[in-house]
Amino acid sequence: MKQNRKIQKPPSVALQVVQWVLFFVLIAICYFIETSGSERKPLLLIPVALCIASHTEEISAMLTGMFCGLLLDSACGKLPGFNAMILVISCVLVSLLYRYFLRQKLMNMLILTAGCTFLEGYLNYLLYYALWDYEEVELIWEKILFPSCLMTIISTVIFYFLVKKIAETCGSHRVNQLEKTMLDLWQD
Amino acid sequence: MLNFLRSRKCKAVLWVLALLTGLMLYAVFMEGYTISVIGIMKTISAPFQRASNAISQHVEYALDIYRNAENYDEENRALREEINALHRELADYEAAKEELERLQAFIGIKEKHEDYSMTAPFDVTGYITNDPFYGFTIDGGSEDNISLYDPVVSDKGLVGVITELGTHTATVTTILSPELSVSAGTRSSKERGVLTGSVSLAMDGMCKLQYLDKNTSLKKDKVILTTGENGMFPAGYVIGYVKEVGMDDTGLTAYAAIEPASDMKKLGMVVVITDFSGKAEQNETEP
Repeated sequence: MKQNRKIQKPPSVALQVVQWVLFFVLIAICYFIETSGSERKPLLLIPVALCIASHTEEISAMLTGMFCGLLLDSACGKLPGFNAMILVISCVLVSLLYRYFLRQKLMNMLILTAGCTFLEGYLNYLLYYALWDYEEVELIWEKILFPSCLMTIISTVIFYFLVKKIAETCGSHRVNQLEKTMLDLWQD
Repeated sequence: MLNFLRSRKCKAVLWVLALLTGLMLYAVFMEGYTISVIGIMKTISAPFQRASNAISQHVEYALDIYRNAENYDEENRALREEINALHRELADYEAAKEELERLQAFIGIKEKHEDYSMTAPFDVTGYITNDPFYGFTIDGGSEDNISLYDPVVSDKGLVGVITELGTHTATVTTILSPELSVSAGTRSSKERGVLTGSVSLAMDGMCKLQYLDKNTSLKKDKVILTTGENGMFPAGYVIGYVKEVGMDDTGLTAYAAIEPASDMKKLGMVVVITDFSGKAEQNETEP
């Protein structure tokens, strides 16, 4: 009942603006980390985009995915749209999954991030390196891309709680359809 | 009163006064030398004088602080500001000196290679995330007279080529990448080969000079330079140093692992060579 009331009362415009400003700051910080130094690092924009998508509607999730994807393309020197496409699809999918089936649990987000990260990593490896048949190309996967994927998945923990805190503070808590239906049935 | 004048006390006083007068007259006739009695007195009293002087100085100092605290505070603040200003000036000076040293290194390139047309030094704005070959972007583009596939060098050696060009930014692919092939050899040109990137060597920041004669005389630490054969890179520019020599899998040719003279992971500034003698007229094909 308590959760149902939250759905009926949408957050105020001011709070939503604050929420998106905070999300934007988070994305910008991740982008600056991505583009600093020459060390191997996690693709922080993936977990950030997916965590935001889990708290927003499909269109907002799509736009977030597109924005983060293009930033990732710029940081990784990839063809503009390569990561953006992967993230748009992933973010919309995550938003829908959270709308209908999934609950806000860390494990759910870790699994989704792992799926998206490995998809991005493997496509990157396949299209940018393996396809060109460089000698000992598998080293790129073993020593750079796979560790980066693992670091990305681990970094999800931070962003999951951070984004959750922002979303809950700003009042955009979502209850999925399954939960809602169950609650309705229970009420009846 | 009359009683006192008659008493022995008065006589004693008069005796003392007479003695002192005598002493004074004696001192006058000594012409500046200390008379022994006074000397002894001074010697005895000297430590006490020093002690009392020190105490009085401390007291005066304490009183002075108390009296002039406000003035000292102001003076202290002014001095602090002056020190801060000097520190800032020193930091600016250090930065300017560092910048000058870096620029002087690039001027050295021009002095050594008069045929080069070079751009001003550009900052490395960022490395491409997780690129195995350490590609990077610079803050110069077509507006700065840069063209696609122009060679990029640091003050130490060859770095790579421009592979993506914007108006104000450009992406550089380094010589660690297998996408790039550079004709290279030793200074005497006895040993020649093709320098290209290798995935395994790139992990250690090195590249590969391949197609060397199987009886190559190349040895460790030998300098490798560009030969400028295909007109893509100027001749005689330092690439790096031989780290090890080995045979190819086929056994027909030898190869050498080359450590680039420029550390690709820590580049700060680079210059783009826009023209040089022997440059291919039409540079639109990929290197």
